[in-house]
Amino acid sequence: MGFVIRQIASRADGSDIVRTRTLARAEISVGRGTDCDLQLADLAVMLRHARIAITSPGRVSVEAVGGVPVELGGTFVTRADLALADTPAIDIGPFRLSLAAGADGAVAITAERVVPPIDAAQAGAEAGIFSLAGALPTKRRMAWIGAAVVLIGMLLLPLLHVLGEDRASLPQAMLAEARRPATPGQAFGDGRLQLPKPRPATESGFAPDEVWSSGPLSNAHASLANNCGACHSQAFVSVTDSACQACHMPDALPDHALPARMAKGRVAAGGIAGAAHRAFNLPEGRCASCHKEHEGEATVLTVAASFCTDCHASLNRRLPDTPAANVPDWAQHPDFRATLVATPSLQQPVFTRAALNGAKEHSGLIYPHALHQSASNAVANMAQKQGLPTGADGALPCRACHVPDAAGQRFQPIAMETHCGACHDLAFARDGGTLRTLPHGKPEQVAGIIRDFWASRTARADVQIFPRRTPGLFSAAPAPVAGRADAAVVQVFTGRAVGGKGICSDCHVVTNTGSASITHRFAIAPVTLNNHYLPQGRFPHGQHKSFNGKTGEAACLSCHQGARTSKAATDVLVPGVANCRQCHGAPVTSLLAAAPRASDSCDSCHAYHDGAPLPAGHRSTVQPAATEAGR
Amino acid sequence: MASQAPPRKTMTGKAVARAPRDVAHEGFLNHKQARWAKVSGALTLLVIAVYALTDPIPRHNGGTWLGYTLGTLGAVMIVWLSLLGVRKRVVGAKPFSLKGWTSAHVWLGMSLIVIGTLHAGGQLGWNVHSLAWLLMMIVILSGFWGIHLYRSLPERLSTNRGEITQSQMLEAIRTLDRQLDSAAQPLAAADAALVRMSLAETPIAGTLRQRLGGDHGSDGNARALAAVAERVQARRHAGQADDRLQQIQFLLERKAAALAQARRHIALKAQLELWLYVHVPATVALLAALVAHILSVFLYW
Repeated sequence: MGFVIRQIASRADGSDIVRTRTLARAEISVGRGTDCDLQLADLAVMLRHARIAITSPGRVSVEAVGGVPVELGGTFVTRADLALADTPAIDIGPFRLSLAAGADGAVAITAERVVPPIDAAQAGAEAGIFSLAGALPTKRRMAWIGAAVVLIGMLLLPLLHVLGEDRASLPQAMLAEARRPATPGQAFGDGRLQLPKPRPATESGFAPDEVWSSGPLSNAHASLANNCGACHSQAFVSVTDSACQACHMPDALPDHALPARMAKGRVAAGGIAGAAHRAFNLPEGRCASCHKEHEGEATVLTVAASFCTDCHASLNRRLPDTPAANVPDWAQHPDFRATLVATPSLQQPVFTRAALNGAKEHSGLIYPHALHQSASNAVANMAQKQGLPTGADGALPCRACHVPDAAGQRFQPIAMETHCGACHDLAFARDGGTLRTLPHGKPEQVAGIIRDFWASRTARADVQIFPRRTPGLFSAAPAPVAGRADAAVVQVFTGRAVGGKGICSDCHVVTNTGSASITHRFAIAPVTLNNHYLPQGRFPHGQHKSFNGKTGEAACLSCHQGARTSKAATDVLVPGVANCRQCHGAPVTSLLAAAPRASDSCDSCHAYHDGAPLPAGHRSTVQPAATEAGR
Repeated sequence: MASQAPPRKTMTGKAVARAPRDVAHEGFLNHKQARWAKVSGALTLLVIAVYALTDPIPRHNGGTWLGYTLGTLGAVMIVWLSLLGVRKRVVGAKPFSLKGWTSAHVWLGMSLIVIGTLHAGGQLGWNVHSLAWLLMMIVILSGFWGIHLYRSLPERLSTNRGEITQSQMLEAIRTLDRQLDSAAQPLAAADAALVRMSLAETPIAGTLRQRLGGDHGSDGNARALAAVAERVQARRHAGQADDRLQQIQFLLERKAAALAQARRHIALKAQLELWLYVHVPATVALLAALVAHILSVFLYW
């Protein structure tokens, strides 16, 4: 009878110390107190926690005496009878007492700490306490996670999108717009080129490769924002012209010149820049070489003036046959060489380019500006009588004939009936209630009409023949004698019958072919009226309605200075480049203004994609002027 | 200077003269008379001047010749700067001292603010390119923060620590815990429970916020101390002064003082370390973003 108590304590190095005592008693006390038979030194244990008594051989009772129960197999009890054969375990605080039958009927109790003491839990935790490793994930783990997130989101997902994407489809609305021919002569310089409104991106939503975009697209291309493949069609290949021309057909947006000549005329990048371009596969002369995208709303259309002079400053060195003079900058822009009618023709007029100084144009028309712009002669008198608009001084204004076109750029073609007919009336008789008129531009018809009219006139008393009211020939000619029809025709064409001019020869050169047939006897020299003297440039007349405080007629005359004194239609009244420099590129006149009085950039007057002007011998794609021949 | 120092050629044998060295400590910021500060400043000024004097079309960005130049320079610098993490693990590597390397790291890193920003031409957006810029700025600014901490905290750290080491601080608390534990053995359950509260419910370090703020509110020790002090007072008034409990109060007070010192130490150490928890992972993320940035530019060339 009695108890054999084995108390196991752990050493710092982890090995155990076992102390065994034998108590020859039927009952022992268990607790924290030093007077207990089995002392358990932990504050969770009561001073006198329990009593264990042998009730019969092989059986013990345990009773909690300190007011705190003991734990038996997971349940807390204050009293229990236990059979040693079951090898029961009693938990008191952090200790476990394992009971078993010992030798000689004794009860063997093994007491062992199963919950480590508090300070032991903190031992070895110094690193965790004094470094942040105890409070945060390690830097290495955070670094891996951050790098993985970046690589997956910014590289892998976009890459998978690119690889999985079919050929890019282009929005129909954009295609249609790009295929419209560009309005000739548009440029930013004069503010006439309007930014399109940005279209929203197509409905396919966010594309993972959008994160590779280096900046917002221009308004024109905004709807391609989630369609990178529309332009970036091949990896590691810079955007090609074919990507641009998928929408911008060459017909609608012609190149500046033939590609071969462009390549020859360009100053090739040399040195480091050239080497870098070759090394990084950036061919020059592509659309994208000038038109930089991903730079915001307008920048795809913006190129600098130096861009033109890069080539044109010394173009003839690389293109000796170029008809274009070198232009290093605006101050050294050569004087204009006007495109003039050299040989008028109804079918194929011939134009020539000539320096303005001393230039003569051969339109085939007889038209003295001075006569028509006088404030005091018969023309002015007649204009007033006809109720035509006149200027304050009584003279015919420029706009009487030169009517601005719809775009405010140049002027509507001059038409004889519209602009000359009020005075140069082709009516010749009142036939009953009908006004008989000669058809303009059809000399054979005119001869026939006059001949037939006179041939039949003797039998007709109700026909009133007008005395000719032609300016300058007012009532001078007596009515032709009846029956002399041919003479009447001669008079209409040449006026020779009365020693003066005829109706036609007022304005036209009439030649006598000597033909026996009266309808073919007189030929009118063809007339070609120039309507664009400087077709390589643009001059929006509508934006130049005032000059130095002058408006209207005075503004016109401040540039077209010879218009009131010119006595022949061969005079060329187009002003030279010096005239433009009065404003364009002129220095500021006020202290507050920061910019020149008017822009001096090339694109103020010139466009780039207007088609290719070619040297003589090449097929010209430029139509310098529509012809107004024969009027 | 030349006249004072003996010509070196004449030296023979070993350790004839001590290597010339300033008496005052020269930190990594003004290493070698601030050599790297001057290099960095000159580089920054040069970059700003070139940027201001060039006028690319349509405007400055990463795609101009200057943009590519600055981008290449920046990328090489970033890779080199991040190699400090490798260099510092190789003790005694030549030819440059770790201090010189650190000095260059700090000063050249600062010039990256200008180089990286001018490389982008100031253009930012929601894309991988701006992400790289943002991560770079986070790395650099956290570096500034680190420099500030390295200049201000060590002095406070050493003042707080006095003459004892980190492990001595912990050992002091553990010793007090053991003393408390044994001193409480004779106590009745209610009093013993208070001591257990101090022993079991008093974490030294705690969460990141607790570490940084040093604010552990009323931890087990504080609550135990308050309750024990109250009981000691009550029993004294009742004329039953309890020496054992008074001893416990004394030990709890000492533990509170030891805890406070350790926690100040922990707060300073946490600050000293925390910037690196931003700086290092952001650097690695930046290297990843740099790879994505450069690859994507050439993929969509």
